[in-house]
Amino acid sequence: MNRERAETYLRLLAEAELRDPTRSLAGAQSSDAPFVVMPVALARAAWALTAVGALDLETAEDILADVELALAARIRPEPREGVRLSSGGPTWAAGLTGPRPGPQRFARARSLVLMNKLMPGGPAPGPATADTSLAGTSRTGASPNGPDRYVPVGLMILFHDELISGELDLMSYAHTAAGARFTATWRTRDPLGSRHHGLPPVEAISVTDDRGQRYDLLFATKGRPESTCDLTLRPDPPPDIGWLEITAPGEQAVRVDLGRRAERPEPQVDQISLSIGEHLLNRIAERLLSLAPEHRLDLRQQLAGFPSAPAHGAGPAGLVINLTAGLGATVAALEAAEVLSPHSPVPARLAALCASLRIGGHGIAATPAPDLPEPWLSMLTHYHRRKPDAAPAGDGFAAVAAALPELEGIRLVLLGLHNFDGGTWMDALALGRLPGLRQGPLGVDMAFPLSMWVRDGAGRWHAARPAGWYDEGGEAALTMRLTPPLSRSCARIEVLVTGRSAEVRATLPLCWGYSP
Amino acid sequence: MRWEAGSLLLPSHADVEAELVLAALGGEKARCVEAAQAWERHADDLSVLAIGPRGPADQIAVDWDDVLAAKQTGSTVAGPLGGPVGGARTKPMRPASQPGPSLPRGGTRQRKVPEERIAAQRRRDDLLSLLALGYGFQVRLMGQVAATHAARLAATHTARGGGEQAGSGPALVAAITGRLAPVAEEWLGIDPDQVVVSLHSGPGWGSAELTGRGADRRLRVSLPAGWLASVWACGLARIGRHLIVAVQEPGWPAARVLGLRAPGAEPEQLDAHASEDSPADAPHWEI
Repeated sequence: MNRERAETYLRLLAEAELRDPTRSLAGAQSSDAPFVVMPVALARAAWALTAVGALDLETAEDILADVELALAARIRPEPREGVRLSSGGPTWAAGLTGPRPGPQRFARARSLVLMNKLMPGGPAPGPATADTSLAGTSRTGASPNGPDRYVPVGLMILFHDELISGELDLMSYAHTAAGARFTATWRTRDPLGSRHHGLPPVEAISVTDDRGQRYDLLFATKGRPESTCDLTLRPDPPPDIGWLEITAPGEQAVRVDLGRRAERPEPQVDQISLSIGEHLLNRIAERLLSLAPEHRLDLRQQLAGFPSAPAHGAGPAGLVINLTAGLGATVAALEAAEVLSPHSPVPARLAALCASLRIGGHGIAATPAPDLPEPWLSMLTHYHRRKPDAAPAGDGFAAVAAALPELEGIRLVLLGLHNFDGGTWMDALALGRLPGLRQGPLGVDMAFPLSMWVRDGAGRWHAARPAGWYDEGGEAALTMRLTPPLSRSCARIEVLVTGRSAEVRATLPLCWGYSP
Repeated sequence: MRWEAGSLLLPSHADVEAELVLAALGGEKARCVEAAQAWERHADDLSVLAIGPRGPADQIAVDWDDVLAAKQTGSTVAGPLGGPVGGARTKPMRPASQPGPSLPRGGTRQRKVPEERIAAQRRRDDLLSLLALGYGFQVRLMGQVAATHAARLAATHTARGGGEQAGSGPALVAAITGRLAPVAEEWLGIDPDQVVVSLHSGPGWGSAELTGRGADRRLRVSLPAGWLASVWACGLARIGRHLIVAVQEPGWPAARVLGLRAPGAEPEQLDAHASEDSPADAPHWEI
């Protein structure tokens, strides 16, 4: 990595942009719109260089702040067409409140503090902090000497009383240094059977182990989507209990056999060598592949009006265009920083991906590659076919508990898979050097340093990207969303987790549970 | 205000210190005293090179009305995180490689926002004031900044026995590129984007060569960081058909310089004279 060349590249790019400052005129009409807009190539290059660690955030922000001031200092607002002349002189552009343009030109918000937003496209949510955890939840850090016990469960716990009924679908039991808990999906209904947004009455659920010890359940959705929770046992049980009996209000006791062994997949570990620049570009590609079908875009139509300029507005097309705008500068910046070889095949693949999605204006100089990685092709095929079977699968959950080998200092333990409201989520624990420790400009998905794909029984690939995580000091509850969603009939999956130095493949059988 | 022989002077203010004491007690501070203080604060600020003009044709559209308007409203038109344009920093730009405090995070950062906002606003006001002084003062301040960093680079180079550049290298390369590129365009008709600059260290003036054809054509120039101060800031970058690469005997209105007729050619010793009718802040030189 060459930090000096990285900084020089960004500064020279700024010089090139400053040669024609009028290109940066925002042309905005609202009073809170910026007077000048940051050239997208510059913003993306700055983001990429900070994302790979070639440039520190402070330096990047300093450079961009200077560019903003330099641009604003070279452009004096002119009265616009249709300007109204009043006794007080011309009325300046809409939104400028004073007779002079100074306040709006030079008193704009410090947009560059929001460095993460320089790379739009729905950054992955950052890790929550322990301060927001539910009361009583363990805050102890994970220890490598923890119990390390993972058991697939696959049981449904029904409950009902006069106010609420519903179910807790126990997918797995995990016991680590941070404590013992079930990972579960849950849903509640009111007495009339309508979906209810209340929490399950965990305080009324009794839990007893094979030695007669009673436990309380603590309900937490930390790091999980709305439909999933962790049910932590208090006090912490012994590491070798054989079963737990759970009795919910209005229902018979259900015994959870903890003697079942966790899946111990025979993972295939292959050494690879990805530069951090390639890793970043792959993550951008994955984000792009996830975005297109998620929003069911007709990019050919929507992009017709935006051949090159990024759309700063909201909307799915804007997200995709923003994601791809300035990719050429991103590639050049990574090459300048010597974190991407000029001979790397990844930029050409990214160009081919953009071409396949009919996205122009990305600025990648490489000729589109003739072939693409299998998961990318699979996603593209699914996207282009728009198959009728894309109808979402019904709600359901699969018992999974599988610990994968460590990659990039992180050991992933898969603790469940569930379909809910047309989406598929994979619930996991991430143990070790956690992504939250490198938060900041890696916000897109790079905050989580692993790439994850799932192949279903039909051979179709699904991108798994972090939808949320909760860092509890060396141990994080992590949930990934699969795009496209899985079909519930899928009996087994192959999980592919890729870091920079190795990739792991593991095949896992799925045992689906069903809602009543 | 007057700039003379490398120093900024306030001839109408015989006792600046006393005025500052008076201002601290609630008296009014003269604007030129404020500007002189800003000058002092930013005399080694690399941002001055990043923001200031790239040449006489690069018009900076900031006047004192803009400065006053920004001052009056800056504190009330701040954005969600407080800072105005150009106010992202609260301190002069330091080279990236120099150790500095890490970025405050979370609550610490939030608590510091008002403090940072005030400092950022002052910084922005400083820079706007310096821009409002006009082209003549701007290039002289840039010359001072460049000379300061060139001296530091030379000292570092000597201490390390050559080789590695100090942390201001990227900013200086960009600063020279931004100013040499338009000059080279006039000199050779080359696209400014095809000008590639590196920092020259050690003896001699550097080098210049033209490589490639068509889109791959490049003018590769290696110049010492001091070129900005000794040549460009003095308005000497191009005289007639010559690119000036060094000043051998500085002076006014006559100076002896080294000029290139073409890339790759040996530099020629030239006697330059400032034309009498050229403006004092942007002198026109002739051979």
